[in-house]
Amino acid sequence: MAALKSNILRLLVVFLVLAACAAAARAYVTIVEDSAFDDRQMRPQVSFEHNEHNEKAGIESCNTCHHFYENGEKRKNSDSVGMECSSCHYKAESGELELIRIYHKQCKSCHLQKEQGPVQCGQCHRKTGENP
Amino acid sequence: MHAIYELAGGFLVWAALVIFAGGTVIRMAWLAATARKKDAAVFHYFSFYYALRSILHWIVPFASRNMRLHPVMTAVTFIFHLCLIITPIFAAAHVILIAESWGGGWWYLPDAAADIMTLTVILGCVFFLIRRISKKDVRYLSTAGDYILLVIVAAPFLSGYWSYHQWSGFEIAGIVHMLSGELLLICIPFTRLFHMILFPFTRGYAGSEFGGMRSARDW
Amino acid sequence: MKKQNNLNNTQNPGQIHDIGIKRGAGRLSREKIASVLEKLIETEGGARLSAYINTCVHCGLCSDACHHYLSRGCDPRFSPAGKVKQTVSTILAKKGKVSPEFIKRTCEIAFTECNLCRRCQLYCPFGIDISYLMLFIRRACHLLGVVPQYIQDTAHSHSATMNQMWVRDDEWIDTLQWQEEEARDEIPDLRIPIDKQGADIFYSVIGPEPKFRPQLIYQMAVIMHAAGADWTLPSAPGWDNSDMCMYTGDVEMTARLKKVHFEAAIGLKNKRIVMGECGHAFRSVYDVGNRLLGWKMPPLPTVHAISFYSELLEEGRIEIDHKFERPVTFHDPCNIVRGRGLHETARYIINRVCKTFIELEPNREHNFCCGAGGGVINCGPPFKTKRVESNKVKADQLAAAREKGAEVVIAPCHNCHGGLEEIIEHYELGMELMFLSDILYECIKKK
Repeated sequence: MAALKSNILRLLVVFLVLAACAAAARAYVTIVEDSAFDDRQMRPQVSFEHNEHNEKAGIESCNTCHHFYENGEKRKNSDSVGMECSSCHYKAESGELELIRIYHKQCKSCHLQKEQGPVQCGQCHRKTGENP
Repeated sequence: MHAIYELAGGFLVWAALVIFAGGTVIRMAWLAATARKKDAAVFHYFSFYYALRSILHWIVPFASRNMRLHPVMTAVTFIFHLCLIITPIFAAAHVILIAESWGGGWWYLPDAAADIMTLTVILGCVFFLIRRISKKDVRYLSTAGDYILLVIVAAPFLSGYWSYHQWSGFEIAGIVHMLSGELLLICIPFTRLFHMILFPFTRGYAGSEFGGMRSARDW
Repeated sequence: MKKQNNLNNTQNPGQIHDIGIKRGAGRLSREKIASVLEKLIETEGGARLSAYINTCVHCGLCSDACHHYLSRGCDPRFSPAGKVKQTVSTILAKKGKVSPEFIKRTCEIAFTECNLCRRCQLYCPFGIDISYLMLFIRRACHLLGVVPQYIQDTAHSHSATMNQMWVRDDEWIDTLQWQEEEARDEIPDLRIPIDKQGADIFYSVIGPEPKFRPQLIYQMAVIMHAAGADWTLPSAPGWDNSDMCMYTGDVEMTARLKKVHFEAAIGLKNKRIVMGECGHAFRSVYDVGNRLLGWKMPPLPTVHAISFYSELLEEGRIEIDHKFERPVTFHDPCNIVRGRGLHETARYIINRVCKTFIELEPNREHNFCCGAGGGVINCGPPFKTKRVESNKVKADQLAAAREKGAEVVIAPCHNCHGGLEEIIEHYELGMELMFLSDILYECIKKK
């Protein structure tokens, strides 16, 4: 009985560790957030099912989106996972508009290129909070 | 949808701006050249001081007698025209799109304000429509073009409102919004909407003759 | 368009028999009309025409400016923009391809349903000059030979005699000498100087003065004498400053008439022109004729009698013997108020000379037209009923002043006298009509 119990416990631990690893590898994000945005956000936040999106879009490499630049050059083997976009793209003097601009650019330019995915304001900033 | 969006948000914006600006310049140049040829006196009587004096009395609410005689019309007209011009220039979404396309950008309205202002323009159009139909003298003057113009003006605001509030089919409303906005811009130099450009000239000339030559007030 | 035609048939338009309109239109064909109008639009239809016609947003804010509209139960056909719609707009839209019947109606609108008073220009947010548009139509009518008979007759008189009333040269001199003789019974050393070289003042009047109201020349002579003014009148044509050709669309004649008038003064080396109490004449000399002759402003200082009287009072050159007792009201004539801003000047005189002054409401630049101006009364008796019906609002305005006690209406304009006379009679207002010179003559110290 005791052996069985410890086996189950072991199994559970292994499962939890695996889950934690998976989570660490592909963070399960559902909403676009950035601490640089101030409180007066006018449009509803954008819900973003990270994994579903990447499966649908066939994105394998993290740095397709989480790009990392050094000296103006994109580093092929580095990424910016875990960093907020604003940590590079936000300068207090250029204001929030610049941050909005680069977020929009990140999504929209790709969607337009692939002719897939939302491009209009309301398609991402859903009032109902649902994903299109 | 993406192809239309790109067309409406790219080439057609440029086309509308070029036609609007080009049409305005060409029409004004034609008017100036024709005036030189057939109404040369206009240039001699034009006076900046009196033109400005007259214009001021007609862009300040209730500064002219006729505005005081029609307080409701005056209030609606002023609020309508202010919202009509300010909303598209300072709507957050527009400023952001401009920032995305060209960089830069400028101050923008809180969405709540733009929302109310858009509604104001729509209600203003409804007011003008009702006025056109219900006032005997205005109905008599109205042509099909006047009604169509009212629709052309209302369309981008109505579709913008629709799109912003994400009512059903708002993606289509968004496209309609872009296309109708461009249509409105294109229409300005070729329709009575040109009063937007001509106002300071016709009013200013009236003011110049009344003030400079006739020493009388024209408000 | 259908609606418009219906409206046209329900009321009297076209029923007034005017031989000038009827015969003129009878000589026309569609082809002839089109060729004349096309040429007119091409040569004279310029930037102003285009800007005015295309800026109008059909808002109807001009309606309440027009006494015709207000007096006729707010019939939309009588609103300023309504008249433009029925005339200029249609002609431009059809590129001149209209029927003789259309021209008849157009002629009646332009000549008898608009006084060119410019009040609507003060009510249009764009300052559209509807009197300009109506004059454009009158010009078209003139070129087509469709003009109401009575006013065309005065235009003929202008071209034949250089005065409005078929006054012969000897009759003019005769009248001046007759008035001098009459006045000398009252003031023995009074003179009416004719052709005085280098006199300070060249005094000109309108044709109807020697014809119908010679006492006005008499009165002016008394005022001039009291002021010790150095003045003169010419013996030759040029003495008449009036101008009905300006209103029939005969701009060539207008230019000739104004040239003769200016040259008469310049020929006598007079220093400035003082014009009698007439509005349209002042418009023709101060605002229209100078333009046609290529002068931005008149070639020598030109003032209306009101400015002259006020100057005499201000400088103390005439003195008030006693104040005018009866309560007066003042009708601001369009051509010297909206046309020259003399409203305060007139009030200065009235307050100096009259005991009680009661304002008309509205007043100054916003006063309603007399209904006679713009050559409308010169279209004569066939249109008399139409004229008085078209100015009920004036009768109401006068009646309101009468309620406040006004007994006398002062109108320093001949046309206004004609119009107000008809209104006072038709609406039985029982008010007396006077010129400023009537009052001054009565009240100044005669030396």
